[in-house]
Amino acid sequence: METVTLTIDGLQVTVEKGQSVLQAAIEAGISVPYYCYHPGIGVDGSCRVCVVKIEKMPKLQTSCSMACTDGMVVSTRDPEVVEARAGVFEFLLVNHPLDCPVCDKGGECPLQDFSYTFGPADSRMDFPRRVFDGEGVRADVDFGPTLMLNRNRCILCTRCVRFMREVDGDAQINIVDRGYGSEIATFSEEGVHSLMSGNLMDVCPVGAITTRDYRFKSRPWDNPNVVDTTCTLCSKGCSTSAWLKAKPEWAKGSQLIRITPRFNPDVNSYWMCDIGRFNYHWIEGDARLRRPMQRRGTALEASTWHEVEPRLRDAVQAAGSPDPASVRFLVSAHASTEELFVLKQLVEGLRGAGGLTSIAVAWTRTAKNQPAGTRFTIPATDAPNVNGARDLGYRVGAGNEGLPDLEDLRTAIEGGRVKALYVLDPGPEGSIGDVSWIVAARQSGTLPLLVVQGVLMTDLCAGADFVLPGAAFVEKDAIYTNDQGRVQAASRAIAPPGEAREDWQILVNVAAALGLSLAYSSSDDIRRALATAMPGSAYAQAGQITFTRPVPAKSWLQSSNPSERWKWDFMFQDLPPVKGHNVQTEDMGREGAYIPLRAVE
Amino acid sequence: MSFHPEMEYAPAKFHRSERKLAEPGEPFTYTPGNQARFDQVVTRYPADQRKSAILHALYLAQNQQGYLTAAAMRHVAEQIRCTPADVEDVVSFYTMFYTRPVGTYVLNVCRTLSCALLGAERVTEELGAKLGIKPGETDSTGTFTLVEVECLGACDRAPVVMVNDDWHEGLSPEQCATFIDDIRARGGAAFTGCHLKKEAGSGQQAADSGQPAEGSKK
Repeated sequence: METVTLTIDGLQVTVEKGQSVLQAAIEAGISVPYYCYHPGIGVDGSCRVCVVKIEKMPKLQTSCSMACTDGMVVSTRDPEVVEARAGVFEFLLVNHPLDCPVCDKGGECPLQDFSYTFGPADSRMDFPRRVFDGEGVRADVDFGPTLMLNRNRCILCTRCVRFMREVDGDAQINIVDRGYGSEIATFSEEGVHSLMSGNLMDVCPVGAITTRDYRFKSRPWDNPNVVDTTCTLCSKGCSTSAWLKAKPEWAKGSQLIRITPRFNPDVNSYWMCDIGRFNYHWIEGDARLRRPMQRRGTALEASTWHEVEPRLRDAVQAAGSPDPASVRFLVSAHASTEELFVLKQLVEGLRGAGGLTSIAVAWTRTAKNQPAGTRFTIPATDAPNVNGARDLGYRVGAGNEGLPDLEDLRTAIEGGRVKALYVLDPGPEGSIGDVSWIVAARQSGTLPLLVVQGVLMTDLCAGADFVLPGAAFVEKDAIYTNDQGRVQAASRAIAPPGEAREDWQILVNVAAALGLSLAYSSSDDIRRALATAMPGSAYAQAGQITFTRPVPAKSWLQSSNPSERWKWDFMFQDLPPVKGHNVQTEDMGREGAYIPLRAVE
Repeated sequence: MSFHPEMEYAPAKFHRSERKLAEPGEPFTYTPGNQARFDQVVTRYPADQRKSAILHALYLAQNQQGYLTAAAMRHVAEQIRCTPADVEDVVSFYTMFYTRPVGTYVLNVCRTLSCALLGAERVTEELGAKLGIKPGETDSTGTFTLVEVECLGACDRAPVVMVNDDWHEGLSPEQCATFIDDIRARGGAAFTGCHLKKEAGSGQQAADSGQPAEGSKK
C-alpha cells in the first residue's frame, strides 16, 4: 500500500495514497464535520462545512475533495476555519425549520450534532424561513410508497441524488428549480420507486427523508439497545442491526422497531434492500405461533409441550412403523445450519445412512425489479441457507441458481406412499412456496399425518395434526451460509414469543421422544459438533463463531457507518463544544488543541 | 413499476406536494424532421456523453409544441437515455424552457442593473398595461407573454427586450405601446435585432441558431 504522511492539527497522519484529507482526519480521530460526503457514494463538495486550512493554499479548501499529499500541513482549528465553518453552519440553519422536537431524526441527526459542535449559537436571520409544501410537519409529502419527504428540512447535500444515481442505478431524484428555490424532487412528484429506497433515510443527514414504516414510531432514546445480526430474507445475507424499542416499565421485553444495514464491505457495503428492512412485522405479528397445538377432530387445540411430545411420538411411530421410509421431511432453506445438522442426525439416527433421502429442501425465487446499472443486486433466492443445506449433503438441485425439486415428494404424497410428513419452516409466510397440495393431501386423507414446526399460522399449520412453534431468525443464535459461501452469524435480538422454542431445541426433543438421544444443550454445542464433523470446511471454525448481545445503542450511524463512529466517541466525552473560545484548551498551545481520541505514539 | 407485493405500507393518505408540475400533456414524439435533426445533433457529442445534447433536444421539443409537457420530457429522456428526473432538473433550471403554454411572442424584459437604471421597470409596466397582463402572464389572445429576466448582456443598448430568439434594443417606456402595435402589424420585422450582429454583417445570427425547428410556431 502506497502511503502519504501529512500533518493535521499538529498530528502526523499516515494514510493510503488517494485518501481525502477528510478521510485522513476521520481516521486520525480529528473532528471535521461533513454532510455531503458519504463513504459509500461519490464526492460532491456541496455542503462546504468540511473546510480546512492547508498551508500554501490561498483559500480554505473542502477537505472531502482534497487528496492527501506528502508533507501537507492541515489545520481544522485555525480561527479562520472556525469562523468560516460557523458561517456555513449559520447558513445551513437559515431555512431549516428547527422542528427537532417533532422530527424523526432528532437525537441521531448529524445536523443537530455538528451544529452543536461547530455552529454559532444564534442566527442573524431576520426574515421568515423559506417554506415548501406547507409549514412544519405538515410539509411532509409523499415520496413514493416507502418514504416521506420534508423539503423544509433539506439542506441540499444531494446524498440522495447521488445514492440513486450511483448505487441504485436509476436516477429518480434530482434537484429542481435553482438557487434559493432549489428543492429535491422526483419527476412530476412520482416519488421514489425502488427496492433500495430505505437507504435514502440512512444517507439523509437531516430529517428530510423518513420512512413511512418508522416515522413517528420511536425516538432514538426510546431504542436503548441494538443487536448486530444478519438478514435472512434472501441468499445475500446482509449485515444488519436490529433496533429494540424499550417497552414501558410494566411490560416485559422489548420490541423490534427497525432494521438498518451495517457496514460489511464483502457483502452489502453500507446498504440493504427494502425487503429486509421493512419485512419484519411478521416476527412480532398476530399470526405468530405461541403455543404447541394438536388436532382434536376438526379443530386445532392449543396444548403444551409435555402433552404434545408423547402424542407426536405415538402418531409418528404408528404411521412409520410399517415402513420407516414412509416418514418424510420437508425443510425450508430458512432453517439454520444448526437445525439442518440436527435434523440430519435425527433422520440418520432413525433410518441409517440413507436418511437424508427422506428430506426435501424448499425455497422460493422472486425476480427483484431492479435497474440494469445497479451496484447492489438483490438475489432471486428468498432463503438464506440453501448453501448450508448443500454443504451438509441435502439434495438442493441447482442450489441458489434454481428452484427446488419437490416433484418426487409430491408424487409420493399424492400416491399415498407417505404416511407422515414433518415440515420445518422458520421463515415468513410463503417461504416454502405453494403448499396447497400438502394441505389438500392431508384433507383428503392421502397423507394421514402432518406435523408442522413453524413460526406463523399459515394454511399449512391450519391443516396440520401437530403444530410446533419455533423461532424466527432474530430470535435465535444461528449460522447461515450465503450465496458467496460465507458462513455468517445471525444473533438473537429478542426472545421467541409465548412457549415457542428455538428450532434446534424442538428437534432435539422430538428426537428424544422418538428414542434418539442427541446430547445438545445449546446451539453452541451443535456448532461445536458441526465443526468436529466437518473439519477442513468453512464450518471448521463454527465452534468459535461469536454472537452479539443487545448493546446500548448510541446511533444507527455508529453501527452502519464506521467513518462516522469517531463522532460518537467524541460526543460522549462530555467535552464542551469546540468553538472559538474553549475553556479547556485556552492554556494549551496550538499543537495541544486537538482532542486526542487515540493514544499518540 | 410494481413494488414488492408482500409488504404492507402505511396508507397513502399523506400530503401531496404543492410543487407546480408540468402538465401531463398529450402523448409526445418528435416529428420525423425533428427526430432526424436530433439524431444528427447527438452525433456531435461522444457516445458516452449523450446527455450533453439535452438542451438541444429540449429546444426541439419546445419548438414543436410551444412548451414542454411531462410527456415531452419523458420523450426527451428516452432519446437522451437518462431518467425523466434528469430532464426535469434541466427544464426547471432554465427560464427559457416553458412548462405552460406561452404566447406567440414571449417578451423577456431585462431587469438587471443597466436596464433598470434606464427604466426597465417602467418598460415592464407599460408593456403590461398595453397588453392587460402582469409579468409571467399571457394575454387573452395568446399572442404575447410578458416575462422579466436577468441580464441579457446588451447593457450598452439598455433597456433591452428579448422576443423569442430575437432582440430589441433601446426600448424606452414611451415606445412600448407602439412597439406592441408594430409587432402585431409587422411581426419579426419590428425588432431592431442585435446591433453587433448587424455591424458584423448579416446572416450571422441565422448560422448561429441553426435551422428553425420543424413545426415551429414562430
